[in-house]
Amino acid sequence: MIHRYKRELSVAAAYILLLIVLAFAAPAFYKDQLRAILVSNAYVLVAAVGMTLVILCRQIDISIGSQLSICAIVAALLTRSGVPVPLVAIITILAGTLMGSINGYLIGWLGMPSIVVTLATMTIFGGSLSWIRQGASVNDLTGFQWFGLGQSAGQWAIVLLALLVFFLFAWALRNLAAGRAVYAVGSDQEAARLAGIRPRRVTFAVFATMGALTAIAALLTAVQMPQVDSDTGKGLELKVIAAVVVGGVAISGGRGTLFGTIIGVLFLGTVGPALAFLGQPTYWEKAIQGAVILLAVATDALRGKE
Amino acid sequence: MAALLELHSITKAFAGVQALGGVSFELLAGEVHALIGENGAGKSTLIKTITGAHLPDSGEMRFAGHPITHNTPSNARALGIAAIYQQPALFPDLTVAENIALGLETGSAWRRIRWAQRRRRARELLDRVGAEISADTFVRQLTMPQQQLVEIARALGASAKVLIMDEPTASLSDRETEHLFRVIKELRSQDVGIIYISHRLEELFQIADRVTILRDGKWVATHAITEVTRPDLIRLMVGRELAAVFPKITVDLGDVVLETRQLSCTRGGISNIDLSIRAGEIVGLAGLVGAGRTELARTLFGLTPADTGEILLRNQPVKIKNPARAAALGIAYVPEDRRRHGVILDMPVSANITLTILRQIASGGWIRFGRERSTAASFVERLSIKTASLASPVATLSGGNQQKVALARWLAAEPSVLILDEPTQGVDVGAKSEIHRLMGELARRGLAILMISSELPEILGMSDRIHVMRGGKITGLLHRDEATQEKILDLALGHHTQETLAS
Amino acid sequence: MTTLDLPPGNRLKRLSVLLNPQTFLAALIVAQLILFSATGTNVLTVDNAFETVRLSIEVGLLALALTPVIITAGIDLSVGSLLSLCAVLFGKMLRDAHFPLWAAIIGTLSVGTIAGLLNALLITRLRIPPLIVTLGTYSLFRGISEGITHGADNFTKFPASFISLGQGYFFNVIPNQLPLFLIIAAAFWLTLHRTTFGRALFAIGFSPEGARYAGIRVERRVSLVYVLSGLIASIAAMIYVARVGQAKADAGTGYELMAITAVVLGGTSIFGGRGSIHGTLLGLLAIAVLQRGLRLSDLPGELALILSGVLLLAAIGGNQLLSRFSTRRRPAMTAAP
Repeated sequence: MIHRYKRELSVAAAYILLLIVLAFAAPAFYKDQLRAILVSNAYVLVAAVGMTLVILCRQIDISIGSQLSICAIVAALLTRSGVPVPLVAIITILAGTLMGSINGYLIGWLGMPSIVVTLATMTIFGGSLSWIRQGASVNDLTGFQWFGLGQSAGQWAIVLLALLVFFLFAWALRNLAAGRAVYAVGSDQEAARLAGIRPRRVTFAVFATMGALTAIAALLTAVQMPQVDSDTGKGLELKVIAAVVVGGVAISGGRGTLFGTIIGVLFLGTVGPALAFLGQPTYWEKAIQGAVILLAVATDALRGKE
Repeated sequence: MAALLELHSITKAFAGVQALGGVSFELLAGEVHALIGENGAGKSTLIKTITGAHLPDSGEMRFAGHPITHNTPSNARALGIAAIYQQPALFPDLTVAENIALGLETGSAWRRIRWAQRRRRARELLDRVGAEISADTFVRQLTMPQQQLVEIARALGASAKVLIMDEPTASLSDRETEHLFRVIKELRSQDVGIIYISHRLEELFQIADRVTILRDGKWVATHAITEVTRPDLIRLMVGRELAAVFPKITVDLGDVVLETRQLSCTRGGISNIDLSIRAGEIVGLAGLVGAGRTELARTLFGLTPADTGEILLRNQPVKIKNPARAAALGIAYVPEDRRRHGVILDMPVSANITLTILRQIASGGWIRFGRERSTAASFVERLSIKTASLASPVATLSGGNQQKVALARWLAAEPSVLILDEPTQGVDVGAKSEIHRLMGELARRGLAILMISSELPEILGMSDRIHVMRGGKITGLLHRDEATQEKILDLALGHHTQETLAS
Repeated sequence: MTTLDLPPGNRLKRLSVLLNPQTFLAALIVAQLILFSATGTNVLTVDNAFETVRLSIEVGLLALALTPVIITAGIDLSVGSLLSLCAVLFGKMLRDAHFPLWAAIIGTLSVGTIAGLLNALLITRLRIPPLIVTLGTYSLFRGISEGITHGADNFTKFPASFISLGQGYFFNVIPNQLPLFLIIAAAFWLTLHRTTFGRALFAIGFSPEGARYAGIRVERRVSLVYVLSGLIASIAAMIYVARVGQAKADAGTGYELMAITAVVLGGTSIFGGRGSIHGTLLGLLAIAVLQRGLRLSDLPGELALILSGVLLLAAIGGNQLLSRFSTRRRPAMTAAP
């Protein structure tokens, strides 16, 4: 049983080591920072769940940053025009699914390379947003921040929602035939076809799901702010891909689990605040994230060579 | 007993090359029917026709008395025809249990996976084939024979009515083989029809009921196994007509150009190879598929460098770490898989021919396009390569002409050792004899040629000496005048002691 | 047989010339110019032409460097971040370490080369996919740049002689960086299309195994491509600094994607093997004209982003159709007796 999660466990071990070091170096870290880390990474986790599906399917999606910005603005605009929060959520998720489906159609059904397609949709989505909104933020969102629950309860709601999504997908990916189909397609598309799985349909569904999850992520991050900016999702794609890769999901498809992904998200999400807490300047955060990514994949590569 | 599967006068041709010329075959329920023949006799084409991978050009196929008109892989599977190939087709990143389950389970995409049930079923099936493999292991961690057992288990799970086994014991240990035979016998008792392909003739006497021999894509004979002996089978398998007269030229042999001493490469699975090739000599390398011939060529060409042993080039020991080094030393290799390795399909004919001699067609790194064109044109003419233009992608050429391009690129490099791996496989008759003529001409000019071929007449017709390989080792050396098809096949099939064979 | 092959071959050839990305782009650029000269002011003037070019030189350099990378079926996402790192280090060397200008230039070029070498080693030695390696270094290089500047420091006050590289003009019309760009572009064109090195890159892009079997040292060639990409990023960094007169950590943000867009738009296949420097230059020009034309026509600049994305999809879709067409043709020609 253990060997199945070997890769995940080694990242987890590294993460626990980081937490132990923190426990000794700065015990107060847990009191002050832990909740903040969970809250601020909840949306990253949700997007990373989607990206895990995409990468397991041997694809990539770099348009999610633009998608998230659009979804956040859509949600904010709807709220400001008086639409009740549940309806806002549904419409936003539909918008995300629609954008994801566009990618899914081009990649799954037309067979275009995902990196180029999502590069193009990234600029199209992003360009459309800034054309329409001219970079304006949306303010005066009564009842939107923290889902109208107040800060503390709202924060817990965010974390719980993210965990709900996570566990739902972790369960489904492992225990539903549809989840296994994602692995099969990423592992060997031709063999999957012979086993009665329809790779095009799976690929389409994976991108559509990525869109829906991006929309949920957008909601989870938008409600944290008094106003919603139009560049909320900037740089999200690479952040999320990095977390998924650190968590041990192979870019060549078919290999990895969501448990790796959640540790990857936590790992990269903890490094920055931890540095700050230890009195180190936070502006090294990105460099360290980069180093962590390279270290993770280099270790994998070296282990694979043996 | 009624025939489970009947094939009548099946024909199939690929790009004008006849692979099956009216083969008939019958499989009864509860029978193990062995199918034997040399490499290229048409066994795999026949199998692929049965599994629906190839559509026959003509002929009729019946399953349990009902004609099958348009056979496809999924149709064949639905009828209960399962095949196990030498190279298992499994998902490397999924566990054994899941690999067995995929393809067996049906239902909606939202159905729940019963892992315990999957595992139990996998366990059961693995037990039936006697595989000591955990159902939770990832397939990528299994050895080749283990993967094969997983495939057999999967076929059992699909409750196949016809089970095709292509060299199932090639990589199994004696104990595993024994267990497999028990499984086969059990299946036979359950009225499964088994088509059993193997080069280990002695196995057939243990397991088969009947045996069908193919030769040159044609049916030769079908016998009850009790009616025949091993020498009978060998005699039936060989005796291919010499289709072409081989233009063998007698050449005065020069000094030894290439020599290996106890050459071994674990990655390639070859060990203790001793051979030598002299200038002007054509040395044939015979053996069955998987005997280690291509692996030896790959080691000599630096693709899988040797671990131990020596390679001597004109009596100088050399280390060959990569193909670039091999090329610099004057060793050329025309590989077996021409479309993937021999040429670059999307590049023009001229660029393909000059890819090995980029330095010669350039001065100071600058390509001289005139020189490139004239070099390429001269080879196109010399080998009479038929192409619309020098700028056409090689993909637009016929198989034989692609092979000539693969040859031309190495002739251009003017090597002293030329390794040819199945130089005329899938090549039409005309191009074939042109390639043979060219080989003779090259030998006369003092080239040392090592020719790997699965076609015995070619080996016999072209070689001065013949090395036979089996299981990664050289099992015998035959001189031109003593070699016969029977002797070669005997050595390639094995089960003789080394002493009696070495001549 | 030779004559039998000719008619379909010719028809295919004629069609592919017509549908070839360069022809398409050239037509597109002409159409844009006509359209924008009707809607905008001063579109078809020499000044505007040079200004259009001046603003896209850095992305242009990165696109040049990325062309051979993508031809070998690789990718380099780190070039924008490396531009930032080089710009910042260049500023640091001049201001804080008091390097003379020439030493700072050499230092910056070395940084770019070493950074490229890091990518190269991870890709060829450890065999990690280029997408992942350069995603990591994308983060790493930008991160170091942010670390050095504390995310806020801005290097300014560069020597006037240096600034003139990015802001000065020959004869008051030709931007000073243009000749440099043209020299580099010519060097890339010659290397890719006229040397044995370039030929090897195409072979590697089509089939790395096929190239290895032909005796090409695949790892070395590929390494050199990534090193070159790093070197060019450092040159682009200095031109950037000279043009904007400052060096901040956010320099070159998103440039990698703009450059990739130009390269792919120019007909270079993301699967490797096909592509050209002239295609890339046309791709660049198409985007540059689009951006500039929209601005001069008082149309929203974001339209440029949207349209370039649509163009990219159209280009890929068109290529896909074309290759489907030619592969469907192939068996027929192979089967010719």
